[in-house]
Amino acid sequence: MSMIYEGRCWKFGDNLAVDADLTKKEFASQRETRLEILREFCMCGIDPDFHKKVSPGDIIVAGKRFAQGNPHIQGLLGIRGLELGLVVESIPRGSFRNAINAGLPFMTKCEGVVDECDTGDLLRVNFETGLFENLTRKTSKQYVPLEASLLQTIAQGGWQPTIEKRIASMGLI
Amino acid sequence: MGQTLTEKILSRVVGRPVSPGETIYPEPDLITVHDWYVVNFDKSLQELGIKKLYDASKVLIATDHEPIALNVLSAERQRNIRKIVAKYGIEHFYDNGRGGHGHIFPMEMGYITPGMFVLAYDTHVTNYGAVGCLGIAMITEITEVLGCGSVWIRVPETIRINLTGKLKPGITIRDISQKLTIDLEADLVDYCAVEFGGPALKDIGVDGRMTLCNTPLEIGAKTAIVEPDESTLKWLKGRVKDPSKLSLMKSDPDAKYKKVIEYDLGIFEPQVAAPPRPDNVVGISTLKGIDVHHAYIGSCANGSITDMRDTALILKGRKVNDNVRLIITPATQEIAAQAAHEGLTEIFAEAGALLTAPGCGPCSGGRIGAMAPGEVSINTGTRNDPGRLGTTEGFIYLASPMTVAASAITGQITDPRQFL
Repeated sequence: MSMIYEGRCWKFGDNLAVDADLTKKEFASQRETRLEILREFCMCGIDPDFHKKVSPGDIIVAGKRFAQGNPHIQGLLGIRGLELGLVVESIPRGSFRNAINAGLPFMTKCEGVVDECDTGDLLRVNFETGLFENLTRKTSKQYVPLEASLLQTIAQGGWQPTIEKRIASMGLI
Repeated sequence: MGQTLTEKILSRVVGRPVSPGETIYPEPDLITVHDWYVVNFDKSLQELGIKKLYDASKVLIATDHEPIALNVLSAERQRNIRKIVAKYGIEHFYDNGRGGHGHIFPMEMGYITPGMFVLAYDTHVTNYGAVGCLGIAMITEITEVLGCGSVWIRVPETIRINLTGKLKPGITIRDISQKLTIDLEADLVDYCAVEFGGPALKDIGVDGRMTLCNTPLEIGAKTAIVEPDESTLKWLKGRVKDPSKLSLMKSDPDAKYKKVIEYDLGIFEPQVAAPPRPDNVVGISTLKGIDVHHAYIGSCANGSITDMRDTALILKGRKVNDNVRLIITPATQEIAAQAAHEGLTEIFAEAGALLTAPGCGPCSGGRIGAMAPGEVSINTGTRNDPGRLGTTEGFIYLASPMTVAASAITGQITDPRQFL
């Protein structure tokens, strides 16, 4: 999986709720994990047509506490399903883990990133190096990327393929 | 350099000193899983090809989110859980009517001791911090812990809160813990361990310490823990198999904290979390006059015997308002028995309140005692996101047991001090 995403910016504010804004709450209790289902409801609490507007490689940029609420993975799987990247000012712990488990390339602790772009700007983000470029504004910003072991899990496609490798290496099956 | 209590516990588990920011694979002393997830972890393990647990003797299963089957589907689910428990040879299984709330009864039964490290499938495992145990929640990855014995965690930085002063009448630890969610900045707390200590701790029992440890994770803390003291040992004696093995692990005097905060318990009014988030906390005086239809006292935050006593103090000799249904859920079998022994359940019944089976009560998604669209609930649950009690079109306020009981009597959000 390439860790460099180039696409349009989709900007959101603070405190987006993992169940109410990012997806339909029922998916959590149904334990729905199919990407082809969840991507159709990505950001449906804010814009039900969001999934029709975006293209693979586009990047969601948001403020503080992105995906706050009870840590359900479905909203993050929806973003992965659309092959979008994610750059946020902060993400609570449960959703941080879920983003890794969903195999979603993201960066957090990107202070002030919402001031660096607007919806529609062309962005290029290297999730391995932390370089955030706004090709429309011709500006760039250096953030701290995720540590290598977590990026490796994301590159492998998230939790499922990673645990399969671990099980094989431990000789459990 | 010295270590915080959290760093010490994780260092003990991995057998070498650890520092904040490190990624480690610590093997927990105990793994707790709640009823609803048992069928799911079994399915995940099967899909992964794993036929036996890494160490079944370290696994505890609680029946609390659905403590009584409400329909045929849930009865079938419970039967499946029993089969799965037998298949993996899990001895520490607590079925309907045994134990109760999994964030509380393992402490009552002596499973949880100071210095332990527990991983759990449920966010509020931080309750175990009340007796100086480090409890950290895992969600999907609990399957990895069950199958492989561990999962990655990052050693957190610690924020120390030194509690000072005294509670004023009508103010409870729930009010303090709710006020803390706004006084502590979410960005500061994010991914940190919150450690409670200080001179006021001596006045706070294990019940109140559970409430303290329950709330910080709502604003992003990884875990919460109270520095254990003599009162912790006193509470645990008679509950653990071998009291002589109990020890008090504490933070070193030169431990490095992200921040140290002095916090005075002497706040001036009850605190209520208004919809739609637990940290949307305001003083009760700003909410007077809001009609309520649904009220609930219980949950892992406030289902203790202390909470039952606080509730009875307000309800005694009074009636629940005609427009309100009040549901009370003692968190565990032990608490239910004690409440009966003290005559509290009689007070609840005479007031017109309903008692439900020990466990989570309505807080586990409103499967028991849900609310209807457009209704207002005031309750002591852990969260007030839309949909927490069934409908996404309800309005949920979170408050202390005293405030909920007082509001149930008047039918409006009410300061309980008028009933003291």
